Parts: sequence; structure tokens; C-alpha cells
Amino acid sequence: MKCVRACPTSALTMENNRILINDEKCLNCARCISTCHNQGLLAQGSTLADLESYDYTVCMVPPALSSYCNTKEQLYDLYNAIRKLGFDEVYDLSPVYGQIMEETVRVADEFSDCSVIASFCPLINRLIEAKYPMLLDNLAPLNYPHEAAAKAIRKRLKDKGNVGIFNCCECEAKLAIAKYPYGNMKCETDHALAIVDIFPEIKKNQGFGHMKIDLCREGLQASNPAMIRQKDEYLIADGFDKITNILDMAEFDMLSDFHLLYLFPCFNGCSGGHLLFGNSYLSRNNIFPLTDGSQTMPTKLDFEMIYSDKMAITSEEKLTFQEKMELFRKVNAQLERLPGYDCSACGMQTCRIMAEEIVKGNKKISDCHIIAAAKEKAYEN
Amino acid sequence: MASILHERYVVERDDYANAGKVSSSIKEKLKLAGIPSAVLRRIAVAAYESEINMIIHAWGGTVDLDLMDDGTVRLVFKDPGPGIPDLEKALTPGWSTASEEARNLGFGAGMGLPNIKRVSDTFDIISSPEGTTLTLSFSAANA
Repeated sequence: MKCVRACPTSALTMENNRILINDEKCLNCARCISTCHNQGLLAQGSTLADLESYDYTVCMVPPALSSYCNTKEQLYDLYNAIRKLGFDEVYDLSPVYGQIMEETVRVADEFSDCSVIASFCPLINRLIEAKYPMLLDNLAPLNYPHEAAAKAIRKRLKDKGNVGIFNCCECEAKLAIAKYPYGNMKCETDHALAIVDIFPEIKKNQGFGHMKIDLCREGLQASNPAMIRQKDEYLIADGFDKITNILDMAEFDMLSDFHLLYLFPCFNGCSGGHLLFGNSYLSRNNIFPLTDGSQTMPTKLDFEMIYSDKMAITSEEKLTFQEKMELFRKVNAQLERLPGYDCSACGMQTCRIMAEEIVKGNKKISDCHIIAAAKEKAYEN
Repeated sequence: MASILHERYVVERDDYANAGKVSSSIKEKLKLAGIPSAVLRRIAVAAYESEINMIIHAWGGTVDLDLMDDGTVRLVFKDPGPGIPDLEKALTPGWSTASEEARNLGFGAGMGLPNIKRVSDTFDIISSPEGTTLTLSFSAANA
């Protein structure tokens, strides 16, 4: 039941000893996965078997994975090992991260009368959509780095036949956005691979050669909160509880002095992604050695590739304001009949969720364990 | 016009640790009720400023939240004193009597009351040494 209680949007319920996840509510934050001590929940990505469906395959590697290497030697070895998994091309995402980071900062400095929220993280965008709709207009209109890169790759490889673009994902939110993008967003990434899933295969290929790669320092910095170029007007934070607190303050208009809110739900940013492994603190120390001497500058992709006005969707309002208020009144009436302990014994996260289910007709008041127990006791007496 | 939601909250004097908790719950409640974002943003700002005022200037007090079935949101902030000596000055942007302690915590810029007045649809304030009552209303129906 830890997972049911951990969900920020009450998307999980327990029915007949099974955990059900409501797709419409789920943000793919994976707090349920990380809180479970029985490893009962799992996010499933694509597998390497999917490579066979394409004429030409590209693997995109995020900066967070690159920065786990201590030295350039290790980095070249890693890229070579990834290529040997069967990819025709291994594409380093750090120059695209660099460009999108620089563009986000430029947008924030230009629109300095409000705080711009960086939109590179799918979880931030979905969180704002679901829980902080007042801040929707503050989201930067910039696309995800992996999507911008995939667009550019597909354009470049248009003569290569059936091109398969794979993204190595460091967290469940990125895994999900690549597999199931929003209804209004055309997804350029074909498959999402969880880094922990493919790592055993990568390991087998290590030590067989080099693939020289020059990383982009700005891009590596963009996925690590401790390494982003700091300015007084920027607020950079990591960790789920911290960032929800910041979004709360932003709704009270208390952060309007900040031009940029650069928020990472994962502790230590993308380097601390749940599908990575090892010590995320060390990766920040690797950024300078890995880009010492030779490095790549941020890309200069066209604006149409890096800009997107669809980073979050305001779902079509199904109910009018009057209908919503009427529903709210009905739920409140049921809520008053419930004990209000939020014990989750019925399988719902809180008494309010139970009250909503009663109004929908899915549950009865007697499904509340506390009410049922009290009734039984009264009957015995 | 009937109330479909009534909540009463208590704010303690000098309780900086919990500053903002009441406005947060008001905001969450009204989000659930489906109040449109544009109005909710104004309500959130007004509620937060008023709550902070109660903590740093007044000796605590109560907050009453009412949501009417026509979509009107009413907030009443009632404190037991010490009252605002010069209401006209208090409504002037930049004028503040906040203590050193409050200013060090980032409060007391003298924008509280003028801001609240700016964002609310109706604004009514009565103040005497026996206490201040601030009544705000917002119309969410046609936003």
C-alpha cells in the first residue's frame, strides 16, 4: 500500500489485492516504483529485439549517461559498446541539450516579467498540467532534447530507408513520453530503452575498441542541477518535494523575481534518474574532465525543431464550471459521512478519493473498513 | 444563493513556520471545486497576502472560506487586534510597519493591502483597535 499512498495524483488504487493505475491521472513519476520494498512495480521499455524491424538504427545517448564515465577512455569504450549492440549510429544528445538549455535561458531573460519554467522534463510538464494549471503559461515553449534530436536525425537520414530511432532513458517519465506521447504530439522517437535493462548487454561489449566522441559541456551541465550556470535571477532546484514546494510558491506569485525556474524532480537531476545506476554525485565531477581539451559546441538546429507549443496539454473540459461545482458538492456530502482518517484500508488513497468513487457509483459507503467495523460492533452489542 | 462549501481556518500569531499553510489549503480546495485558473490565481495571491498580514501584523485570527452556488468565492479574515491605525496609509503601496524580524524573513515590503485590493473583485475592510475584518469576494462564474 506504500505505492497507493506515494502517488501525487491519487492514480493508484488497490482492488482485490491488485494495484490498478489510472492512466488518465498517472504522471509517470515512478514514485510508486521507487517506494515499493517488494519491487512489485516495474516500468517496461522496448528491447534490443526491436532493432531488427529497421533498415538503419540510431541510439541516442543522454548526457546523464555520458557523464557517468570518469575518463574519456571510458567514454569512448562505452559508445563503442553501445554501437556493438547492433546500432548503425550512436548519437550523443549533449549538444542538443546544450542548445535547448541556452535557448531556455534566452527565453527566460527576454520575458523577464514572469518566471519561465524549463520544459525539458516530461514530469514537470505533466505535473503542471495536472496539479498547477495556473502555471501552464509559464512553461517554456521548447521541445524535449531527444525529440528535437530525433527530428534532425530523421531529416538527415531520409534516404536510409526505414530508420529506427532509439532513446536511452534515465527515468520512467522519459521512457513513457517516448512510448506514449501526448495525443496532440507527433513522436519522432520510435523506441525507448531503459538504461538499466540494456546495461548488462553493454557490459559484455566493453573493452573491444573505441568510438571517439566529443561531448558538449553546456549539455552535460544542463542535466545536472549543481552544474548549471547560476545567476541571481535563476532558481534551480532538484528533488520532488522541493520542486512541488516551489511550484506552490509560484502559484502565490512569490517567485516573480526569478526569470527562470529550472526544476528537476529527480534528486541530482537527470544524473539521479531512477533507471541509471551508481553514484549520481560523482557524475558532476566528471563533466570538466570529459570536456577538457576537445569538446563540441551546442547544436544550431532550426527553431521549428527545438520549439514546441505542445509541451503540456490543457485537456478538453468535459464538465462546465456549474457541473464541476455540483460534483464537488456531492463529493463533499459523501466525504462528511466518511471517517476522514485517510487510512487507505479500502484501497483508495484518501477518504476524498473514496467519496469520489461513491459518487461515481463504483463504491458503497459500507466498503469503508472503519464504518463496516463500527457497524459490526454495534450489531454484536 | 447558497453556500456549497464552508471552511474555517485558524491562524496563529507570529507562526512563521506555518505561514502559507492556510492559503495552500484554500487553493487546493478551490482547485478541486473547479474554479478556473485565472480567478484562482488572484484568489491565491490575495489569500496568501492576507494570511501573512494576520501572522506578522495582527494577533492571529480566523479565515472563513465560502463558495456560493453561483460561483462566488468569499474570504473573511478576522483578527482580534491591534487594528490598523491609518487605513489610508496602509493602502498606499510601499508603506509598511512590519517588524525587523518580519522584514528579515522577506515579508513586509508594504505591498500587502494594495496588492490584495488590486486582485480582488470586491474589497471591504473595517479596522479598530478591537480588530480588523477584511472581506474579499471573487466571481468565478464568467471568468
